[in-house]
Amino acid sequence: MNNEQFNNRNVTDGYYLVDIEDYPTDGWGKFKRVVKRTFRVELFVGLWVVLREMIKFDIHTVSYPAEKMPIGPRYRAVHEMKRLWESDTERCIGCGLCEKICISNCIRMDTKIDENSRKVVSEYSINLGRCIFCGYCAEVCPELAITHGGEYENASEQREHFIMFEDMLTPIDKMKDGKQLEFEGFGAITPHEDERVKKTPLAY
Amino acid sequence: MINFVINNIPVIAQKGESILQVARREGIYIPTMCYLAKTTPNASCRMCSVEAKGVDGFVLSCNTPPIEGLEVTTDSDALYKERQNIMKLYNVNHPLQCGVCDKSGECELQNKTLEFSVAEQSFAAKEQKRKKKQWGVLSYDPYLCILCEKCTAVCNEVVGAEALYIKPGGYKSAIDNDYAQCIQCGECIAVCPVGAMASSDFKYNSNAWELKKVPSACAHCSSACSLNYEVKHVGVGAHESEKIIYRVTNEHDHDSLCGAGRFGFDFENRVTAKDEKAFSNVLKAFEYAKTIRFSSMITNEEAYILQKLKEKHGYRLINDEARAYQKFIQAYSLACGNSLYSANLDLISKSDYAVTLGCSISSDNPMVRFALAQAVKRNKAYVAMMHPIEDESIRNIVSQHFKHEVGSEEGLLAMLCECFVNVEGKKEHQDFFDSLDGGYISGESSIGEEEFELLAGKKNRKKAPVLILGADLYAHPRAENIAKMAGVLDRYSDFSVLIIPSDTNTLGVSLICELDEEALSPVIAYNAFGDTVLSALGEGDLDMPALNQQEGTFTSIDKKVVPLNAALPYQGYELSDISNKLGVKCVNVIDFTSKLPHEKGYKAIAFDDLPNYYLNSGIQVRGYLLDAKEVKEEISLEEISDIKEFNGTVIYSCNPNMQFNLFTDKAEIIVDKALLKGSKQFAQAAKIKGGENVEFMLDGKLLSRKFQIDNKLKGMIAYNANFDLGQRSSLYRYQQIQLERVQ
Repeated sequence: MNNEQFNNRNVTDGYYLVDIEDYPTDGWGKFKRVVKRTFRVELFVGLWVVLREMIKFDIHTVSYPAEKMPIGPRYRAVHEMKRLWESDTERCIGCGLCEKICISNCIRMDTKIDENSRKVVSEYSINLGRCIFCGYCAEVCPELAITHGGEYENASEQREHFIMFEDMLTPIDKMKDGKQLEFEGFGAITPHEDERVKKTPLAY
Repeated sequence: MINFVINNIPVIAQKGESILQVARREGIYIPTMCYLAKTTPNASCRMCSVEAKGVDGFVLSCNTPPIEGLEVTTDSDALYKERQNIMKLYNVNHPLQCGVCDKSGECELQNKTLEFSVAEQSFAAKEQKRKKKQWGVLSYDPYLCILCEKCTAVCNEVVGAEALYIKPGGYKSAIDNDYAQCIQCGECIAVCPVGAMASSDFKYNSNAWELKKVPSACAHCSSACSLNYEVKHVGVGAHESEKIIYRVTNEHDHDSLCGAGRFGFDFENRVTAKDEKAFSNVLKAFEYAKTIRFSSMITNEEAYILQKLKEKHGYRLINDEARAYQKFIQAYSLACGNSLYSANLDLISKSDYAVTLGCSISSDNPMVRFALAQAVKRNKAYVAMMHPIEDESIRNIVSQHFKHEVGSEEGLLAMLCECFVNVEGKKEHQDFFDSLDGGYISGESSIGEEEFELLAGKKNRKKAPVLILGADLYAHPRAENIAKMAGVLDRYSDFSVLIIPSDTNTLGVSLICELDEEALSPVIAYNAFGDTVLSALGEGDLDMPALNQQEGTFTSIDKKVVPLNAALPYQGYELSDISNKLGVKCVNVIDFTSKLPHEKGYKAIAFDDLPNYYLNSGIQVRGYLLDAKEVKEEISLEEISDIKEFNGTVIYSCNPNMQFNLFTDKAEIIVDKALLKGSKQFAQAAKIKGGENVEFMLDGKLLSRKFQIDNKLKGMIAYNANFDLGQRSSLYRYQQIQLERVQ
C-alpha cells in the first residue's frame, strides 16, 4: 500500500486560523462585551439559520427504523459464518481459536469426527449478551470463516441472547446466488495478498 | 559420584546417569524430541546435542555419561543453528493441519518449531502414499508421524507387548502394529509427541487447552496409578457445572497407565438431586440391619466410616475378598516380622530375578506386568512364572514357565523356601524343612526337582530377587501356611516379597476394617449384594458417588496412601450423610484422612496436605508411605498337606486384561465381554464348540456364559471372566465345574 499520503505532515495546506477575539481580562472589558452582545441581537442570527434551512427542506435526519443508513464493510456487528466459494460448504474447521481468544468468554463450541473422518463443528454458540464485539474472533480465524456482519439490531428481552452456528451461516440459496459478502475488517485479507503468499515447497 | 559443570553450574552425577538426566534433575533445559525419560534413549533426534569442552563436534547428552571435570554448554549460536536445522527437517512435508489436529497446543513439534523460529517449510520431499490405520482404541496417521520411536520404545520396554514396530522403507517408513500382540493399553498414544497416535474415541472431540485437569488416582486396580481426569462441560447448552470426563492423561514421561485406567473413565454415577425418600428408607434399613457387606472399590475414609459404624452400632462387616487377603497378610507378617510386605513396583522393575506364584501376570495387575517387562528389558531379569496355565500373550516377559498342577501352590512355595532360605532360617524351622518331601511335591505338582535346581541355579550372582504372590493363594485352602512360608522366605533370604492386593483398595480395607466371617441378615450392601443396596452403579436403593466423584485416599500396592480428587460433580447423598445421621460425624469424608489407624502405619496427615507432583528427576511425590511396624511373634510352619487332584472341567476366574469390575464394564470404550475362554483342547475335552452358550454352577449360583476358543491359550483350564459378577468372591480361583450346553 502507498503510504505517501500519510507521510505529509504539513498541516498548513488548506487550513486557516479562525479569527477569535481575545477574552476580556478586566471588569471594564467584560462589561463592554455584555453591552455589545445585548444590543446586536445575536439570538436572531441563529433563529434565521434554522428558518432558512426549514424553508429549503434540506433534511439530514434518518427516520430510523423505517430508514437505515448504509453500514461500513468494516463495521463489527453480529457474527456471520461464511461458506467456501468453491464448494459452498462451511469454512469453519473447528480449530477452536475463536473460543480460546474470546476475552468475554462468550463463544462455546463442540466438535466431533464425521463419517469422512474430518473434524466438524457439532455445536457452536455465541452469547451476544456477553459479546463485546471486539473482533478478535474474526481476526484470529485462520479460514476467514467467522466474521462480523452488518446486523446490529440484536435487542432482546433478556440479557442472555444466543446465536447458533446455523443462524450465522450464509444461507445456501444466498450462496448459490453469489451474494455472500466478504468481510473487510480486521483479520480479513488485504489487497494484493496473492503476491505475499509463500507457497509450501511440496514437490507434488 | 562424578563432579562436572553444566553452563558454569557445578553438578554431581550418579553412576549411570547421562548428562541429560543430570541437567533435567538440576532444572537445566536441554531441548529433546525423541527422548522419553522412562525408556532407554534411542538417540534418533539429535536435538539434545551439547558442547563439551575439549571435544570436537557435539555430544549427545541423552546417552553420554559425564566424566569428571567435564565442562558442558547447553546453549550456543552453533547449537541453536543445529537444532533449528533439525526442526526444519522434522517439518518436511508435515501436514499444516494444526487447526484440526488433536495434539495442537500440547504438541512437541509445534513447541519446538516455534521455539527455534522455523517460520516456514523450506524443504520438501516427494510425498509417499501411506495408509491411515485404526487398531482398536488407537488410530495412527502416518502423515503426522515423525518416527521418533517413542511408541515402539514404550511398547517394547515398558509394556513388554512388542506389538509396535517400524516398517522400514526409507522415507516411506511407518509404524506398524502386530495387532494380535497389542494389549490396547494406549501407552503409545500417551507418549506420541505429535498427533500421529491418537485415541480413536477422543479424536477431534476437544482441544487440549479447553480441558481442565483433575489429578487423581486410578480406581480400577490396586496400583492406583497417578492420572489426570480431563474434564469439560457437556455441549454448548450445558451449565458450567455439568461436566464430563473427555479423556485420561498422565505424566507419561515417567509413569504408565494400562488400558483400563486410560479408557475406563466414564463410570460416574449421574445423580442430579438428593432422593430424600430413598435416603430415609435406607436410614430405616440401617436401624434393623445387622451386617454391612461392601466391596474393596472404596476409599480409605469410607472404610474408616464403616469401621466406626461397626464400633458404634455393632454391624458386622463383610468383605470376603479383603478378609482372605487380610488373613494372608497377617499370617505373613507374623512369619516375616514386619507388618507389610517388603517389595513395591519400583523394586520389581529394578529387580534382576523374579518368581511369580499364584497370579495371572497378564491380567491381575497391569502395573506388575509392566514392572516385570521393564526388569526383563533393562536388567535382563530372569522371570519365572509358576502357573498352571500357559499364557502366550506374555511370552516376551516370562523367561521360563513352570506349569504346575492346580492346588499345588503350597508345595511349590515350600520348595522355593527349600532352595532359597538361608542356614539361619533352616535352623529356625528345622522340623518343617526336615519333613519336606521334595519327591512327593515334584510328583504331585509336576515340576521336577531338576527344574527347581535350574531355578536355584539361575539365581546365582543375581542381586535383587523378588517373589510375587497373587490372588490364587489368598483363597487357597492352605492360605495361612502359604503366607507363613512367604514370610519366612522374606525374612531368611534376600528375596523381597510382593503380595498383590486383589482389588483396588483391598490393602486399605484389610488394614482399616475388622472384617467378619459370617453375615447376619438383614444385610446392607455397599457396591455389593444384600437386602438394601447402596450403589455407585446407579442400580441400588440409594445412589452413591462413583470413585471419580469422590475425594479420598487409596492404599496402593506400593503401600502408599494416595489422594483421589473428585473429577465430576455429584449432587446426591454420600456415605458421610448416612454416617452423620448414625452418629459418626464429619463435614467432609476427607476429615477422616488424618484419623486413619496410626497403629497400622497410617500417618496423621490431612488430605489437603497430601502432595501430588513429580520432581524434575521424574520421582513421583504422591501421598505418603505407610509405616511398616515390627511384629514379634514365634510361629511354626505346618507340614505340607496332601495335594488334591483337580480333574475334569476346571475353570479359572480371570478377567480380560481391560476389565476389572462393573465400573470398567460401564465405560464405553472398554468392550470386552464376560466370556468363558478356553483352548481348543479344552473345547474338545468338554465337548463344546466356540460360540456356544453354556451354563454351570459356581459358588452356589447358576452362571451362563458364551464359550469362546482362544488360540493364545493352551491346556485344559478355561478362563472365566468374573468382572460382571459384582463383588469378588473369596472362592479359590480354580473350580471344578459341570458344563451344560444351552440353546
